[in-house]
Amino acid sequence: MITLNRKLKKEPIAPEPTNTMNGLTSNESMVRRISVRDKLLIKEVQEMNENLPATCSVHFEDPNMLSEFLLTVTPDEGFWQGGKFKFSVFVTDDYNMAPPRVKCLTRLWHPNINVDGDVCLSLLRQTSIDEHGWAPTRRLKDVVWGLNALFTDLLNFEDPLNIEAAEMYNKNKTEFQAKVQEYIAKGKR
Amino acid sequence: MSGEDCDPMDRGENDGQKPDKMFTLKKWNAVAMWSWDVECDTCAICRVQVMDACLRCQGESKKDSYGKQDCVVVWGECNHSFHFCCMSLWVKQNNRCPLCQQEWSIQRMGK
Ligand SMILES: [Zn+2]
Ligand SMILES: [Zn+2]
Ligand SMILES: [Zn+2]
Repeated sequence: MITLNRKLKKEPIAPEPTNTMNGLTSNESMVRRISVRDKLLIKEVQEMNENLPATCSVHFEDPNMLSEFLLTVTPDEGFWQGGKFKFSVFVTDDYNMAPPRVKCLTRLWHPNINVDGDVCLSLLRQTSIDEHGWAPTRRLKDVVWGLNALFTDLLNFEDPLNIEAAEMYNKNKTEFQAKVQEYIAKGKR
Repeated sequence: MSGEDCDPMDRGENDGQKPDKMFTLKKWNAVAMWSWDVECDTCAICRVQVMDACLRCQGESKKDSYGKQDCVVVWGECNHSFHFCCMSLWVKQNNRCPLCQQEWSIQRMGK
């Protein structure tokens, strides 16, 4: 940063032709330094924003950093209705060969999300032998869609991460619903 | 089915021309196939046309003095095409076509 500042300060003093040359060279090296991930993200973030489900919103802490953002899901149906669930999404350098890393920041009672915030969603699985796992053909909008669907269509009691939650659901759905809402109420306090 | 729908209308205005109309419908189908093919010409991994250099190679200075290997296209047995650069990175993790999940084996390479 310091070097760049110094360079910028120097530039106006330099004679015209050199100035232009400098501008070109630094521009070119800037372009070269943009990673494949960042190039993909420029397109995919826009596409994600254009296709955001009504129950989702995204927030970028740093608008210049497309690789890290917060996703908020506000389910409008099902067990988690009335709750607000935040996920941090981190797109690693090896995107799109590797899926984004996702953590759930809101404590909740869910068969596919444990109390530590680990999320079990097949499309976020790096190694998978079936078509449900990660593939470079997937985009950010698919990740958002998948996380959103964890509260509805992709909700899965058969292969749980939070086994206790799944067992409770199988034994007593009323108790399960109450526990879900208890967590939501705790979060609002 | 749409041919049957057309018939009564044709009879109303122009009696002898029915078979021609049938051929027009078939042509419309062929156009639909063509647009599907064009979509396949984009590498589904880096989303750049397969005939252009891939996203990775575009980032590097294109004309290095030494003859660097070209960014070529690779076709799988499943007929899906990708940049060789893109696909070789992916098969290291999962030896399947990311579009159809078939086991990946190269049919041909080139431009
Ligand atoms: Zn490619
Ligand atoms: Zn390439
Ligand atoms: Zn294929």
